Amino acid sequence: MFRRQYRELIGLDVDGVDSMVVRAEVEVVKDRELVRDRVTRVKASGSGSSGVAEACAKPCFTIVDGVADGVGGWRAYGIDPGEFSLHLMQTCERLVGIGRFTPSNPSELLARSYYELLQHKKAILGSSTACVVVLNKENCMLYTANIGDSGFMVVRHGKVIHKSEEQQHYFNTPFQLSLPPPGYQANVLSDQPDSAITNNFPVEDGDVILVATDGVFDNLPQSLLIKELCKVQGERCASRLQTVANSIAWMARNLSFDETFISPFAESAFANGINTIGGKPDDITVILATVAI
Amino acid sequence: MDLVASLTNSNHNDEYKQLIAEKQNVFEGISEIDNTEYEIKLRPGAIEQFVQSVLSYSSKYNSISSILYAPENLIGKPSKYPMYGDFPDTYLLRSYGKWWKESEAAQPEYMPHDVDPIPSEDFVTVRFEYAVFPKDVFIYETYHPGAVVRIWGRKYGNPWNLLWKGPPQTCPVASRKYSPPIRQIKELINELRIEFNQSHLRYHTSLDAILLTGFRPKSLLQMTILQKGLLDTFVKESCERREQLQCFNDDGVDLFCNLPFEVMVHIFQYLDLKSLCRCAQVNKKWYFVSLDPALYRAISLKKYWHKVDNKIIQDFMNKCKNVKKLDLSWCSNEKQIKEVVFVQFLEQCCKNITHLSLDCCSFINTIVLGEIGKCNDLTDLRLRNCKRSVKDFGPLAQLHKLTALDLCSSCITDEQLINILKANTNLKHLIIDFCDYLETLDQVAETVSMFNPYLVTWSSWKTLSFTSEGIGHLARCSYLRELDLGWCLILNEPANCIEKISLGCKDLRRLIISGWRGVNDHLLLPLIRSCKQLTQLDLLGIKNISSDICERILASLPKLTLLDISFCDLIKTEQVLIWREQYPNVVIQH
Repeated sequence: MFRRQYRELIGLDVDGVDSMVVRAEVEVVKDRELVRDRVTRVKASGSGSSGVAEACAKPCFTIVDGVADGVGGWRAYGIDPGEFSLHLMQTCERLVGIGRFTPSNPSELLARSYYELLQHKKAILGSSTACVVVLNKENCMLYTANIGDSGFMVVRHGKVIHKSEEQQHYFNTPFQLSLPPPGYQANVLSDQPDSAITNNFPVEDGDVILVATDGVFDNLPQSLLIKELCKVQGERCASRLQTVANSIAWMARNLSFDETFISPFAESAFANGINTIGGKPDDITVILATVAI
Repeated sequence: MDLVASLTNSNHNDEYKQLIAEKQNVFEGISEIDNTEYEIKLRPGAIEQFVQSVLSYSSKYNSISSILYAPENLIGKPSKYPMYGDFPDTYLLRSYGKWWKESEAAQPEYMPHDVDPIPSEDFVTVRFEYAVFPKDVFIYETYHPGAVVRIWGRKYGNPWNLLWKGPPQTCPVASRKYSPPIRQIKELINELRIEFNQSHLRYHTSLDAILLTGFRPKSLLQMTILQKGLLDTFVKESCERREQLQCFNDDGVDLFCNLPFEVMVHIFQYLDLKSLCRCAQVNKKWYFVSLDPALYRAISLKKYWHKVDNKIIQDFMNKCKNVKKLDLSWCSNEKQIKEVVFVQFLEQCCKNITHLSLDCCSFINTIVLGEIGKCNDLTDLRLRNCKRSVKDFGPLAQLHKLTALDLCSSCITDEQLINILKANTNLKHLIIDFCDYLETLDQVAETVSMFNPYLVTWSSWKTLSFTSEGIGHLARCSYLRELDLGWCLILNEPANCIEKISLGCKDLRRLIISGWRGVNDHLLLPLIRSCKQLTQLDLLGIKNISSDICERILASLPKLTLLDISFCDLIKTEQVLIWREQYPNVVIQH
């Protein structure tokens, strides 16, 4: 099928254009009281009221993080696969920045961002998975929206409080937002922004939130991931968060090139009747945050 | 603080002078300061602030809900400056150059003898967090700069003060931080209104941010001291004026009064409103002449928007008997005119009104629309940018002589529009740009093709519900000359609608199909073959069209004057440069 080809091609895309390569940029925003580690594409904060005027007047009560993973197969069609995901997240960031979003409805944010892409003068084509989490500090709730196989994980004292579900059409073919080139509409999978899985649940002080692309979840076994995340339980020092984020990204990267390792991806492939072994070289993006209330 | 310290110590006097000189230099030299540095040092006590919110605007490139190219991008620090280019995160104005005014659907001038030498075409109003005594205004322009012609300032609730006015500027191709010398008023302001005139620009202008610097009084005392200086100068000014007036009155006989009344009225007809008001103050006879209703057949108050309120309208009510053309655009952006007053004016003075334009008038509501619906003779109705809460356009279907209807940015629904179209069979110009409540444009187009055979202009820029089939209906309007379908078919297949239009509307002069991603060379061929009258063609953002087809467009459309192929990825800049030399009569945007 058309879609399968992309995913096979994606294997070549390690640290490619469509990945925001692990970047060690740290931002500590004291007045927002959330120590965060940024290795990716979007983070923004705003009060989330629909009016533009209030957004600046009120202090910031919400924090938004998100990742989007472009589908690499588009390169064969002369389309930069990173463009769609980059613009999708940048638009999210700007929507949040000017307060055009509802904190309790991150899927609406994704939808708005998607429709904005249509209105770019420059034709932005491609497709992408996306995951957005919104922390509302007023009621300590985490609101999430997820399309495809990027995802998030919330860990408290070594236990997984919440983990996103993967959305797949069939094995290795995740749900995706897409703007295909004219003439290809019929052949390309395109999921509507409202097909995002949304969720909301309370979080506590010290909880660790991980938002990452499938390059992390497909290569790192959950036990290993939890072990790493435990190290930053309640951590407020940004540089220590950074260290752990870096190590998660590096572990995932090293394991993805390990041809003998039975990765979660290989396990899942096996369950689907495909006999393969080793990691899955893919784009790796990690955002790590701890809740500090 | 360090200034005070150095003052007390005479040894440091030179240092102090130097410091002062430096600070002044910073202020005087700000416009020349190199572009990369936009941190401005300020005198102690002064603050600088970027826009906090956008209050209103008259022009926008993208749809209402979109944040791309939107005025909201003015908020906060510049995001793109000093880069230069067409960025989606700046504020882009919709029109540029003469193209929009040359359109057959453009609003005619109601008072040709009362036209501003530097007319403002669009405006944007912004608010800042703190009220300050303004020192400087910096406008960060990132694409085709030079359109700013006026800067107004006020504190919320007070009347507007003109801070600066000047002709549009011709600028080099680079971003700039524009800081015209503003009038140093001794009044607090926290709102700015920037007005634009884009008629000389080669392409869209865009703004990134607006910076207001000034003194923020820390106490009431400080504020009163700062304002008191102004009061003194004001008193002096008015005294001088009075003296001048007295001199004038001493002057002997008024020979002009010997003319017959009708002749005086005839002469007065050539005066603009301001002069008329002045004449009314000369003497009794002049006053009575200035009241003649014949002088007020066509009124355009757009130019005087900042002065117009209920009282002015009531004043006009006494003079006007039979207004034919009325333009109150921009006059009631914040309800300066009550709807009751306007309705009364319409009832008493505008029984036979034919032309009405109410751009950005916030008093428009169901009652007002009902009243407009009773003006049987209306032929030209323009209700651009009316409030988003106005939903009931039903009463307009009572009109039956309309030839031009402009409902840009309104919330009209399909059913209401279809009823209006059915009632006004002579309609020539229909403008429904940005009308996002129109959900079945195909039906609207079908209605037009059946009931409005004389349609000349169809403009539905940035509407969302068209399909190829619906656009095909427009081909039955054989008089169609201007067709603006920009962004109407973003991802839909254009199928054969361009071919249908080309064969049906052979007289087509202007065609805008920007953002139709599905168009390719093949689909444009019928257009080149049939529409030889084409003067403007906008193909912005169409990824698939090649140099070949552009070459053929240029070669086979002899009357072409404007071709927009910006964001067409397959066309190389070098190629465009060659074409520009080869076809000097065509403006090629790329």
